[in-house]
Amino acid sequence: MKRVLVSLLVIASVLAISSCSGKGSGGTLVYGTTDKVTQMDPASAYDQHTWELFNNIDESLLTYTPGTSEIVPGLAESYTVNDKGDEYTFKLRKGLKFTDGTAFTADTVKWTVDRAAALKGDPSWLVTQFVKEVQVVDPLTVKFVLTGPTAFFPSVIAGNPPYYPLSPSVYPVDKIVSNPSELKGGQLVGLGPYKVTSFKRDEEVVLEANPNYYGAKPKYKKIVIRYFADATTMRLALEKGDIDLVYKSLNPSDIKDLASNPKITTNTLPGPFIRFLCFENSQSVFKNKKLRQAVTALLDRPEINQKVYLGQNAPLYSMVPQGMIYASEDFKTAYGDANVAKAEELLKSAGYSAKKPLDFDLWYTPTHYGDTEVNLAEVMKAEFEKTPLIKVTIKSAEWATYKQQFNHKQMGAYLLGWYPDYVDPDDYTAAFAQTDASAGEGIFFSNKEWDAAFVKEEQSADPKVRAEIFAKIQKDWTDEVPCAPIFQGTLHVLTKTSVTGVKIGAPLIFRYDTLEPAKQ
Amino acid sequence: MRRILRYVAGRLVLTIPMIFVLLSLVFLVLRVMPGDPVSAMLGEHAPAAYLQEKKHALGLDKPIAAQYVDYIGQILRGDLGKSMIFEEPVAQPIFEKLPATLELTLFGLALCLAIGIPLGVRAARHRRTGHDFGIRLYANVVYCIPVFWMGLMLQMVFGVFLGVFPIAGRTGSRIIVSDFDTTGLYVIDTIIHGDIASLGDVLFHLALPAVTLGVTLSGIFVRLTRANMLDVLKSDFVLASRARGVPEGKVVYGHALKNALIPIVTMLGLQFSALLAGAILTETTFSWPGMGRLLLERIYLRDYPVVQGVIIVYALLVTVVSLVVDLLYAVIDPRVKL
Amino acid sequence: MNENKNETRADRARFSPASGLAKALGAFSEAARKYRVEWWILVAGIVVVGLIVFMTIFPGLFTSFNPNDQSAGPQLGAPSFAHLLGTDNLGRDVGARMVYGARTILGVAIAASLLSALIGIPLGLVSGFAGNWLDKVLSLIMDSVYSFPGLILAIAFAAMLGPGVINITLAVSVVYIPTYFRLVRGQTLQIKEELYVEAARAIGARKSVILAKYVFPNVIATVVVVFSLNIADAIMTEAALSYIGLGLPAGIPDWGMDLSMGKKFLPSGVWWMITYPGLMIMFLALGFTMLGEGLSEILNPRLQEY
Repeated sequence: MKRVLVSLLVIASVLAISSCSGKGSGGTLVYGTTDKVTQMDPASAYDQHTWELFNNIDESLLTYTPGTSEIVPGLAESYTVNDKGDEYTFKLRKGLKFTDGTAFTADTVKWTVDRAAALKGDPSWLVTQFVKEVQVVDPLTVKFVLTGPTAFFPSVIAGNPPYYPLSPSVYPVDKIVSNPSELKGGQLVGLGPYKVTSFKRDEEVVLEANPNYYGAKPKYKKIVIRYFADATTMRLALEKGDIDLVYKSLNPSDIKDLASNPKITTNTLPGPFIRFLCFENSQSVFKNKKLRQAVTALLDRPEINQKVYLGQNAPLYSMVPQGMIYASEDFKTAYGDANVAKAEELLKSAGYSAKKPLDFDLWYTPTHYGDTEVNLAEVMKAEFEKTPLIKVTIKSAEWATYKQQFNHKQMGAYLLGWYPDYVDPDDYTAAFAQTDASAGEGIFFSNKEWDAAFVKEEQSADPKVRAEIFAKIQKDWTDEVPCAPIFQGTLHVLTKTSVTGVKIGAPLIFRYDTLEPAKQ
Repeated sequence: MRRILRYVAGRLVLTIPMIFVLLSLVFLVLRVMPGDPVSAMLGEHAPAAYLQEKKHALGLDKPIAAQYVDYIGQILRGDLGKSMIFEEPVAQPIFEKLPATLELTLFGLALCLAIGIPLGVRAARHRRTGHDFGIRLYANVVYCIPVFWMGLMLQMVFGVFLGVFPIAGRTGSRIIVSDFDTTGLYVIDTIIHGDIASLGDVLFHLALPAVTLGVTLSGIFVRLTRANMLDVLKSDFVLASRARGVPEGKVVYGHALKNALIPIVTMLGLQFSALLAGAILTETTFSWPGMGRLLLERIYLRDYPVVQGVIIVYALLVTVVSLVVDLLYAVIDPRVKL
Repeated sequence: MNENKNETRADRARFSPASGLAKALGAFSEAARKYRVEWWILVAGIVVVGLIVFMTIFPGLFTSFNPNDQSAGPQLGAPSFAHLLGTDNLGRDVGARMVYGARTILGVAIAASLLSALIGIPLGLVSGFAGNWLDKVLSLIMDSVYSFPGLILAIAFAAMLGPGVINITLAVSVVYIPTYFRLVRGQTLQIKEELYVEAARAIGARKSVILAKYVFPNVIATVVVVFSLNIADAIMTEAALSYIGLGLPAGIPDWGMDLSMGKKFLPSGVWWMITYPGLMIMFLALGFTMLGEGLSEILNPRLQEY
């Protein structure tokens, strides 16, 4: 019996030692995330993580200088705009090839954009809203005819995967693709700095440098993306040195601990990612503007930031986040925080009292925005109930049901978040208050004057006109409150000190080809 | 041989109604769920007409009875259908994740038996002494420990404080799975490829999850073994062996245990179900990419076909295991006539 | 009649339904007299369960904090004199959440077990007694559900019904209906072969009368034992559902949910958020298990020469 135990111990130690030797890094970066890949099809995926993959395996006609909002030539070397501002003509780079050898031409661009529009996936509105028609002028020139003059069209085309050219020889024109194994040849092909060499959903995705890329070669020849089921184990993996980089989704307590870890570099990016409280404006109890105002007055943003996020985010006082042009802080002056007096005044004038309180459901979705969401709801409930004139019941629904419910006006007050589709205040205002868009987010707010103002600023290229319009909209927002801003997210990229070159700018595009090992 | 085949065939025939019942139950449950996958899939920007079109294409606008008949027909043809959320056949994610669950469950079962049976024998042998009571106490307490809590405690002690074992996943972050992945059972795969370093890594990752499962469910085997051993130790042939002067060790571990094992084998079938259930919680705690996690994720996404598929596979697993167990039983116990 | 060596006093006393209580009392006094281990197990079970039930009725005696009060203490405060079990990430007192959480989990577990019993027992009685096609069909369905991993069914139902106390109770109860069904059906099958039942039938007693007067009382002893063990199991299932996130909505203190919330803070050195919920679940389940085991051993001791 003893002999058996001893030999088991010996075997165990041999295995332990041999597994420690592991594989060296040699140009490989291991990146940990708790996000999930949805569909590997830019015509249908509409989430940050899948878009991040596309940002690295493909590129658009225009792109951003990494780390900034500066738009520079991408797959197109130049473009011209007509006088009216509704026709953009792009001249493509010569001699570019997909990773499978197919040539990249103007036809590829037209095919891709038409496909995105036809498949009507989630992000297809980014194409159909702005683009009326794509015309092939010659093999290296393509013209986008827009639905109307759009001054910020370059930022629409620069960062949105539905515009990233796909190879017709690989992607089916009439179907949405989920896994690379469904493609002809079983591999994804693209024009970006990396290509996907291995794809095992929820376990790992392996990227390798693309030899056909027109730009500079990335310093890390191989990127291995490891998928974790929860942030805690991912944090431990980073601490242990099992992974080199973590982007997003770490718990606030982990970020706090790791910030003081000398072996870890914390990159903080003020991300234009916002969280806000939505109201259903057409049918629910919140169609009464006074009640929307009352609930908003009770928000205590610094407390939320401290309790739930350990102070890592920033309180937000306008739907347009700080750092964006034309941003203001109107909610601060209009309401402040935890303004119980104002709330009670409004509630009383609407006929509510301690005996007959305003009783409503506050909805959240448990994992889509990270698992701190339940805490956010709990803290908000406590804040709202500081006055006896309000009674809140917390309810939750996972994302699939959540979306359906807000489309069917089934939730009076619910929490939502927003990553920008394009870097412009229009994406933070019209997206929630313009009649059709508002209905799309479940807010169902409609105001003809506002709609007219949105059209005006979308079609104007004059910064003075736009500044004026946005100033008014943000001020009016504090009166109508279709939705109330809560906080602005700070994004964190944590790496081992041996990794540098993290460059993510306002458009939130993370390119792996800027990463490089630190110089010793 | 023919008798065995007839026996197997007979048992298989009985499993079909069971799968049918479970399937129907789950089908009904899922269809009544709020939250329709088509809107979730296509998002709020899609126009209503297109939503209708998609629903029609997936057959979701037919009355439930018609959908049910369609589905049963499909299953009978051996087609598990296609995922509603991702454009992939249902079988794909299931067979991708199945090996992970199998590996975990089998190692858990092995540990369960390795702990439970010797302890049960010891308790029976020294009945009504301190050993016996201590072991019985262990069995009862351990059964009441929530599997996920045991997992968390082990993670805390061995993973975080002592840092000896990894606490998540099947492999280390720097091991590239596609290098050796063939069957999906990484222990076997790494051995086949002669990749000893990865084998060590895989075993180390199996350690805590398997111990979690094995220890929590060992209590049942302790009690079973003990009860059966007590029965057997009273029987005439044991008395006779002792009278003949056979050493006590041989009596207990040789003759008695072999006979006591028979009912344990029959319980294995039922216990496998408990192990599968415990495996779901273990998978959640240890980020193990198995069918349990797949089930939870797809329930979340309202991916009906995959959820149904997972349940069918679980039902098949359970029935296959009990079939194997019954066969084993028939083989071990010469008294059983096929 | 067979000389079944495992036959006990209890078995022999089966002739009259009213003797059910008498036989139980007899067994108890016998156990107490001999100070058998099983007696102590039963006592331990009663004490633990009693204590926790007491706690659910008079929570104020155990804690002065409100479990949802986010300003009770500092965020993530370690156990101290002010907060014996520490505070959680929103500043709520962990001890208070343990005390009030008992109500939730116990309530759901008992309600679910009762519901399962209320459905499973009558079905078992009818099925065992009728013995025809109804029996075959019901047995098939119940056996299928029984051999299938219960937690998975509970997950499917909980996901379908959504969060909520009633919904979780329903989800958990579905899993245990076959347990009662099989138990009662088995016993019914046995009993209906007994001479006195045949006699009753001969005199022309109605089936329902036979079921109620003769079968049911004899089944009750085992049912009580199973009920206690069942509650222990239901507690574990409810905790598991909450842990996965399919449990109750936020705002109701729940041990399983606290466990899954606390796990995030473990690497930061916060051990108290997961240790105590787990211990509580274990003790509560253990209490009911000991209660059930103790009862079982005393009412139906397996081996006489023990």
